[in-house]
Amino acid sequence: MNFLFCSLTVLVMSILLICLSVRFKNICNALFLGSLIVASVLGLMAVFHVLISPVVEDLYLNIRMPLGEFYIGMDALSAFFLSAIIILFLISGIYGYGYLKTTEAKNLGFHYALYQFAFMAMMLVVVARNGILFLMAWEMVTLSSYFLITLHDERPEVTRAGHLFLLATHIAGFCLWLMFLIMASHSGSMNFDQMAACPFTPFLAGIIFILGLIGFGVKAGFIPLHIWLPHAHPAAPSHVSAVLSAVMIKIGIYGLMRVFCLVRDFPHWCAILLLLIGMISGVCGVLYALGQHEIKKLLAYHSIENIGIITLGLGIGLWGQIEHNSVIALIGYAGALLHVFNHAVFKGLLFLSAGSLIRSTHIGEIDRLGGLLKYLPWTGHLFLIGSLSICGLPLFNGFISEWLIFRGLFEGMFHLPMTGIILSSMGVIALVLMGGLAAACFAKAFGVMFLGNSRSIDNSLIKESPMSMCLPMAVLGVICVWIGFFPRSMVMFAFHAASVICSRPIPPEMGNVILSPLLMVIMILWVVVIITAILVFLKKKAMKVLPIQEGPTWGCGYSYMTGRMQYTASSFAESLLRVFRPVLGFKVSGVKPEGYFPKEAEVSSHVVEASEVFLFRPVFEFIKFLSGKLKRIQCGYTQLYLLYIFVFLLALLIWKMV
Amino acid sequence: MQKNLNIYRLRYMLILIHFLIVLIFSPLLLGIIGKTKAFFAGRWGAPLLQPYYDIFKLFSKGNVYSVTTTWIFQAAPLLSFVCILVSCLVLPFGGIHAPCFFWGDVLLFAGLYTLARFVMVIAALDTGSSFEGMGAAREATFSCLAECCLFLNFIVLALLSKKLILSQMVGGDLSVSWWTDGPALILVGGSYFMVLLTENARIPVDDPQTHLELTMIHEARVLDHSGWDFAFILYGSAIKLFVLGGLLVDVLLPLDHQPVLIQMGEFFVGMVILAMGIGCVESSMARLRLNRIPQLLTGSFILALVGFLVVLIRGV
Repeated sequence: MNFLFCSLTVLVMSILLICLSVRFKNICNALFLGSLIVASVLGLMAVFHVLISPVVEDLYLNIRMPLGEFYIGMDALSAFFLSAIIILFLISGIYGYGYLKTTEAKNLGFHYALYQFAFMAMMLVVVARNGILFLMAWEMVTLSSYFLITLHDERPEVTRAGHLFLLATHIAGFCLWLMFLIMASHSGSMNFDQMAACPFTPFLAGIIFILGLIGFGVKAGFIPLHIWLPHAHPAAPSHVSAVLSAVMIKIGIYGLMRVFCLVRDFPHWCAILLLLIGMISGVCGVLYALGQHEIKKLLAYHSIENIGIITLGLGIGLWGQIEHNSVIALIGYAGALLHVFNHAVFKGLLFLSAGSLIRSTHIGEIDRLGGLLKYLPWTGHLFLIGSLSICGLPLFNGFISEWLIFRGLFEGMFHLPMTGIILSSMGVIALVLMGGLAAACFAKAFGVMFLGNSRSIDNSLIKESPMSMCLPMAVLGVICVWIGFFPRSMVMFAFHAASVICSRPIPPEMGNVILSPLLMVIMILWVVVIITAILVFLKKKAMKVLPIQEGPTWGCGYSYMTGRMQYTASSFAESLLRVFRPVLGFKVSGVKPEGYFPKEAEVSSHVVEASEVFLFRPVFEFIKFLSGKLKRIQCGYTQLYLLYIFVFLLALLIWKMV
Repeated sequence: MQKNLNIYRLRYMLILIHFLIVLIFSPLLLGIIGKTKAFFAGRWGAPLLQPYYDIFKLFSKGNVYSVTTTWIFQAAPLLSFVCILVSCLVLPFGGIHAPCFFWGDVLLFAGLYTLARFVMVIAALDTGSSFEGMGAAREATFSCLAECCLFLNFIVLALLSKKLILSQMVGGDLSVSWWTDGPALILVGGSYFMVLLTENARIPVDDPQTHLELTMIHEARVLDHSGWDFAFILYGSAIKLFVLGGLLVDVLLPLDHQPVLIQMGEFFVGMVILAMGIGCVESSMARLRLNRIPQLLTGSFILALVGFLVVLIRGV
């Protein structure tokens, strides 16, 4: 706890110092890097402290704040999220320093200060033990993210994305205020420990659940509340999108988990709703991703997919908690938590390598790139590791967490009543479909960008990014492989955090249920590695004796192949999108060339974002219409506004008297 | 300590025996399919051991690599071969028990196939040829759908056996309940047979004999591979047929409570009948048009879904 407090203090000091020395670029840089590293090390020490000592520590400072106290605490759940936040902020920060070093962005110092501010605010969200403190930290995260997203605000689409983000998150913030006020009025205090001690009626719990789902769901990016996400991620500079996608949207998940800690008496339909949202977000997220041809937008949609996977784990965990089956609850929650960490690592890696790619080529459109693996070896191979992890393939970390979530769903199938069996089966099928589609999507993205030949630019002019960018990415890549082969420590950490959510101890048979099968998985994976190594050795030996020839790719009889003739990302995705066309709005505009001597023609196709076009646009249009009507009372006279205030106060007074 | 060591030694022996069975017998299935098709066509056909000769010949040949490709193109066939080979460890072959079994091994089984497919798809894109890109895209599409059917089958089997261990979901206790669960098992078997045909690139989904690029799925991906790499691909697909076919035979044959040798005999007879059955389907049907394949897989999914409903209605 003390370590954490020191870490927060270091961050606050560094923000002040950076703001003071914003004119001196070198001092700014040194301050930024130094404080980032010191704060992260201190924060990680706090996390380790929680891991080795099971005693929960709280810090209660008698700082008077409006409506509440400065009350922070650390348990395994907070520590788990803290570890993801700290690792990602540290690595993206170092990368961001390398990324921004050469660009002449204005106000770089303020950008660094805001980055530290977001870091501090996110740490504060996961350790806050008081509703008001939580909401203030939440607001700080929102505001600082807005300014981080709009670093390049000279571009109109960036400003637009920023506004959309601010609008969406404030609607969500409204729901959260309502939720905490209901909880506080029922339990009599804004402090979390008192809320947890107070029983809630199922009706009230249902209302709290709905408000929390909307409030936290907008930040997490549940479909159909996700509309800000695919705009904001591409607009932000890459190290910021990495942080946004890897940890910022996860604090929405943290919020839901914390609510599950505080309120226990949820009715059954809450779990059903969570599972359904998980399936819809996951499948639709990956389908939209498949239809995208801009790399960062594609990654943004994949964040929605992974949030769906996490929500599946969360839903089955909640169901287990409602049914008082602690095995299902623990496996479900632990799977969701481990996927939170894993997604933070591999999505961070993917966004950072996409940023490195865009920085080198100045192109983000997949269909215009190609053959970059030879020219960007670091970026390319790290992107490959990220892709393999995000598809949940064995040997990498995504597989471990998806395996846990699968296990949770299958346990639900064996132990839950009929509705539970049907929904967990649907969850399994949805998860499999997501896995298959994600594999197709990343085969497309990696294959088209990094393999084959260049499609538009001269690749020989492209230079690899500096080491200050490659090394942070490499660290994330190593974590992906490490969890893939040695998952034990992280799985146990996730189980400790899960036991905090459902406030039940980890039963001793958990070792047999989870760890020994996992050990066998790892053993088989080692068999794969060993046989591969032997065969590679044999093949190398044989290749020395046998003749090796080199030549161009076989053109099937056609000898004037150009880069433009290769299969593109659009054509790769077309066959899958055609299958899913009934569920996916797919718009084709333009005309095809016709006749024997066709003239120039243009055809373009894109996937329609259904919830944006059919759900939010009408709602926003309606709000615009209403506010147009309300304009009449707003005519710009200060006297009139004073009159309004007076009338309002009078009304309050009368209401109070009656 | 000594006892522990012996158990480990036994397990390594079992793993080795499993690998040897798969490596030795898998190309034979291709030979049987070839003979069956030749019989229907009224020809004598290639010798039964032709697939062995082909693989052996390829292993003694050199490689031709395109200058476009990277190391991924050279590593992918090897890695996919190893993944397919290792996946056999969780599957029993009749009386021979699976050397590795644990709660949740089904997921690893499916995961290894996905990994094998993923590396082959990116290897196809590595050549920069549009034909191979086309094959890769089709492969990604159909396998994605086939995997959903496969998992629905697994769900039905898991609900019937109340277990999540592949070697106990198929065969074993299941044979006792064959008389009560018959309808569901037949539906699962039918659904799984279509998945089997899709995954192994057999008619009516794909024709392994043609080399006409526009119609192909699996063959189109491997146009540029040669020598050792192509041998790995050929051998890998033979093993895949053996392992996935073995799963079907395990599901459909009631094998319990008999001496091990008889069980093994039944299993191998079952495999031969399966290979002949695939040969019959290939001789009596034409390839489906590409846009019909999703419908075929939907049919497979619906069969499994009916099986699922049967299980639910019967009561779990």
